[in-house]
Amino acid sequence: MKELFLNDFKLAIPELFLISISIFLLVYGVVYSTSNLKGYPILSNNISRLALITLCFSIILVMNHPIKEAVFFSLILDDFSSFLKVLILICSFTSILISLDYLKEEKLNSFEPIILILISTVSMLLMVSSYDFISMYLGIELQSLCFYVLAACKRDSEFSTEAGIKYFLLGAFSSGLLLFGCSLIYGFTGLIHFEELAKVFSGIEHTNAIKLGILFLAVGFLFKLTAVPFHMWAPDVYEGAPNSITAFFLITPKIAILGLFVRLFLYSFYDFLFSWQVILLISSIASMILACFAAMAQKKIKRLLVYSAIGHVGYMLLAFSCGNLEGIQALFIYLVIYFIMTINMFASILSLRHVKYIADLHQLVRTNPLLSITMGVNLFSIAGIPPLAGFCSKFYLFFAAISSSLYLGALIGVLTSVVSCFYYIRLIKIIYFESPKTWIHYSTIDKEKSLILAITSFFILFFFCYPSPLFIFTHKIALTFII
Amino acid sequence: MTEFFPIFIYIFVSLGLSLFILGLSFVFSVQKPDPEKLSAYECGFDPFDDARSRFDIRFYLVAILFIIFDLEVTFLFPWAVTLNQIGFFGFWSMMLFLVILTIGFIYEWRKGALDWE
Repeated sequence: MKELFLNDFKLAIPELFLISISIFLLVYGVVYSTSNLKGYPILSNNISRLALITLCFSIILVMNHPIKEAVFFSLILDDFSSFLKVLILICSFTSILISLDYLKEEKLNSFEPIILILISTVSMLLMVSSYDFISMYLGIELQSLCFYVLAACKRDSEFSTEAGIKYFLLGAFSSGLLLFGCSLIYGFTGLIHFEELAKVFSGIEHTNAIKLGILFLAVGFLFKLTAVPFHMWAPDVYEGAPNSITAFFLITPKIAILGLFVRLFLYSFYDFLFSWQVILLISSIASMILACFAAMAQKKIKRLLVYSAIGHVGYMLLAFSCGNLEGIQALFIYLVIYFIMTINMFASILSLRHVKYIADLHQLVRTNPLLSITMGVNLFSIAGIPPLAGFCSKFYLFFAAISSSLYLGALIGVLTSVVSCFYYIRLIKIIYFESPKTWIHYSTIDKEKSLILAITSFFILFFFCYPSPLFIFTHKIALTFII
Repeated sequence: MTEFFPIFIYIFVSLGLSLFILGLSFVFSVQKPDPEKLSAYECGFDPFDDARSRFDIRFYLVAILFIIFDLEVTFLFPWAVTLNQIGFFGFWSMMLFLVILTIGFIYEWRKGALDWE
């Protein structure tokens, strides 16, 4: 008993810190924002800044954790989970940072969304370090519950409430599928712990019941990742949610769910590789094809970005379905670079606050040349033009796919990436060469967003000069699955 | 599980009894329906306007709060009966749970979710 208190809780210090601070911030927020004496102050900016500090400290706590590898209760701590935790925390940090100005301008005065972002960040930290079905499911549900509220947080907007309802229904349905998969596997093995499952499945005859359970789990995860046959909710939800929330939605849950997905399937279900590889490959190819054609027909920027995100999920699933060291490494290189490109994209879009349609970007080069250069570079990078970061990640991914003989997947990936260049470059054409019907005046970009834009653009431009840290780091993470 | 069988029987007996009592009033009462008798009772006046009205959100709030605290009680039951086995660790775990719920409650209180006018 004593040892438990002495050491075991040290393993979860970043999570404990983050959850206690978010509870503290909740109490602080509610007490002050309803205080008659203080004149009912608006606390969204204040709490956002406190949340930023909290996330900074959590990043420091995760990075300097004295214990590198441990399994405690139903959670695990290893290089893989620490890497993803840092990524998730950075992502929450930047998405709050780029939305500071947006919250003020749009008069989203409630402070609760910030607290919900913090709590969902905690749940995502728990997700990436969960090591059995129960902690996995609870992590996913806590995160999803926060997200349903976040999607609907702009109550006077019909789009936002619709997004919340759609997200809730589809999210609950996919969680149901996931839970049914878990219960099938539990029913046929009597085990829920990932490690025990890995031991039991090594070298046994593969029964169809387990395969069915794995199928349900895969479908549940693909729903959450917005991969193609299960993507229908994504465009509406991500378009309807407020811009600052969409930026958070498009990246962070993907990191967490992909991390959990990879851990479960490559560690516990590795012996079933050939049954789930097919599912992932089909979904990946379908995502790549649908995304590249659907994005062409879009008129709204956010919807275009959502379809582009679906395509990126397709590429990531292609790397995942390799099922080997190179594949995981390519997946995480892709994830990091995708994360940076999306942050850059959303920082640009949040800088152009009133822009809804693609056509509104006409002649941005005249009104804000620097921003148009940033957007141009980023769009080239997303399209995969050398020598930008997006090209490196795609190149490495196709390289991994070819070396694990997924020729069809790699071929379709290359082709769809060529096709998708069309609509990315069309955006650049609109920004630079088309004359506008009406000129739109943009307000100046605040310091936080410009900082983020500068850092990410710098990364995108100069990644190819010194890519080895990322490569070595992701290699180290991929190795955690081998040992 | 066998002790549930009398309750099962009891449910059917009480269902039969209540249907019997309801039926008696149909059999023995005098029924002469006319429009005045069948119209809705609004303190003797004719209905003023449309029967539709905005539903007060506070009813939802109370219902949601009930669900949350009802769930809390379901967690308290097993804790209460096994308290002598789980020691201080179990005790403090539940206290932590209750603290988190209490903070939720403080939030509701300050937000005015419990005010009724």
